[in-house]
Amino acid sequence: MSGKGLVDAERRRFNRLALAPSLIVLFVIAVLPAIYLVVTSLTPFQLVNPGSSTDFSSLLRNYRLLPGDPRFVNSLWVQAKLSFWGVLLQVLLGMLLALLLHTQSRVVEFARTLFLIPMVLPPIVVAIIWKLIYTPDIGPLYYAASLLNVTMPSLTSSVDFALTAIIIADTWEWMPFTFLMVLAALQTIPEEFSEAALVDGANRLQIFFYITLPFITPILVISGMFRLIDSVKAFPLVFLLTGGGPGSVTEVTNYYAYLLAFDFNEIGYSCSVTIVMLLLVVAVSLGVVWMGRRREAMA
Amino acid sequence: MTGPVRRSASARRLVAIGVTLIVLLSPFLWLLQMSFKSNDLILQFPPPLIFTPTLENYASLWRSAFAASFGNSLMSASFSTALALLLGVPAAYALSRWAGRGKHALSFAILVTRMAPPIAFTIPFFLFYRWIGLLDTVTGLVLVYTSFNLPLVIWMMQPFFETVPPSLEEAALVDGASTRVVFLEIVLPMVAPGIAATAILCFLYAWNDFFFALILTRTNARTAPVAVVNFMNYEGWEWGKIAAGGSLVMAPVLIFSLAVRRYLVSGLTAGAVKG
Repeated sequence: MSGKGLVDAERRRFNRLALAPSLIVLFVIAVLPAIYLVVTSLTPFQLVNPGSSTDFSSLLRNYRLLPGDPRFVNSLWVQAKLSFWGVLLQVLLGMLLALLLHTQSRVVEFARTLFLIPMVLPPIVVAIIWKLIYTPDIGPLYYAASLLNVTMPSLTSSVDFALTAIIIADTWEWMPFTFLMVLAALQTIPEEFSEAALVDGANRLQIFFYITLPFITPILVISGMFRLIDSVKAFPLVFLLTGGGPGSVTEVTNYYAYLLAFDFNEIGYSCSVTIVMLLLVVAVSLGVVWMGRRREAMA
Repeated sequence: MTGPVRRSASARRLVAIGVTLIVLLSPFLWLLQMSFKSNDLILQFPPPLIFTPTLENYASLWRSAFAASFGNSLMSASFSTALALLLGVPAAYALSRWAGRGKHALSFAILVTRMAPPIAFTIPFFLFYRWIGLLDTVTGLVLVYTSFNLPLVIWMMQPFFETVPPSLEEAALVDGASTRVVFLEIVLPMVAPGIAATAILCFLYAWNDFFFALILTRTNARTAPVAVVNFMNYEGWEWGKIAAGGSLVMAPVLIFSLAVRRYLVSGLTAGAVKG
């Protein structure tokens, strides 16, 4: 008995030693910055005015300014449009791609890896790729348009197309993610289901809508939400393709926060913008967790 | 057209897959072919299907400051990977063997640090580094990259440890070995493939970073992704060189991704599956 107790005590000591360094490091490099962010968002801190970093005279000043800041409100709207269309297209096209590749063959299994290339590329390389495509003198799109006697405006500097251009690039980059998730879900569908349906005379479309789709709906929603969370990070594309322009047509909240902090030196205000963004991300994350729990409960 | 019924690939489906693959990868191939062209050739339309490839873009890039940036990228990604593994692997082992109540809360907290938009960390890191003089240093980058690689290590290594049968460890413990010895000499060798896969993913995440490097470095510690963009802004529109730079930045990523094909899936969807 006492021998076992000794082993347990030794095991606990080991666990503490193994966990402590990671927890300390995570605290220093993740929790402390988060606290700093919250505190600074309560000050009018500007880099040119060091004393302002501890000016707590008007705690909610930044947050009161937010609703009246047209650029901030616009950035939320741009983000909403980018996220909505991006996520919708990624889920839809990713699902179609997964259905196409859901088959057993050695060749197809290798092809699956190639389909993942856009997702594993460094985001900045994705931005460069689309920059080369969207630049008039060297882009194949403009040449193709000229063959059809159409003069195409420069997509990334056009008020009407700039955001669409970013949505297309973002969809190209992240469609492999939803593809991967849906494919994994498809592989868990028991074959007997569709076989039974076939015997009963159902056609392919009916099988898709009555058997396949209900099975993969949860994973469609969850992968969509994961993309939704990540869509606020679409920085390199905006940075390289449009720089937020023309005007502020493609200025997403993330990019506006970046400009505020590192171009306009409005650190305190930028922190408050970031906090609002963080709260939105956390809200969606909690939604994902809640949905996951509900799914587990149902299963 | 599709359904879970017919599992073996028909010829029609294979053709459809091939065409889709070519269409989807064409933007990527466009960059690749451009990197082997002279600037005159790049401006030539319709693009010639057959041309004599030149390595001039790569060569002139290698003679410029880009080589040093490539070195910075290599160093910061490697060191942060090593640091994250050193700290994270024992922690993941402890978590996988720990039935305590805080386990799920801790796992969720670790996940959240990965989900937060980078800008949330950048402002505090920038000001802190400015204060203690870590701006524009590889050390500074290593610390930042560890902040997102450590959670990844803890997430990814736990399932690997869970596959090690506890009976093996118990036998050794009964023979009088300490937990430390059991961990180092019995468990670690068994999860070596997992460690390799995790290391490669950490390396890739650090290597792929653009945002942190853009803000936290200037000239000395500039990484390859930032150097390519800088090149675009300051040295005119030399498209061939830009394409070559992009190709060089993505080369290690493509090579490593192929190497960890099997683990790539679990790493890229980390959290997504377990959330």
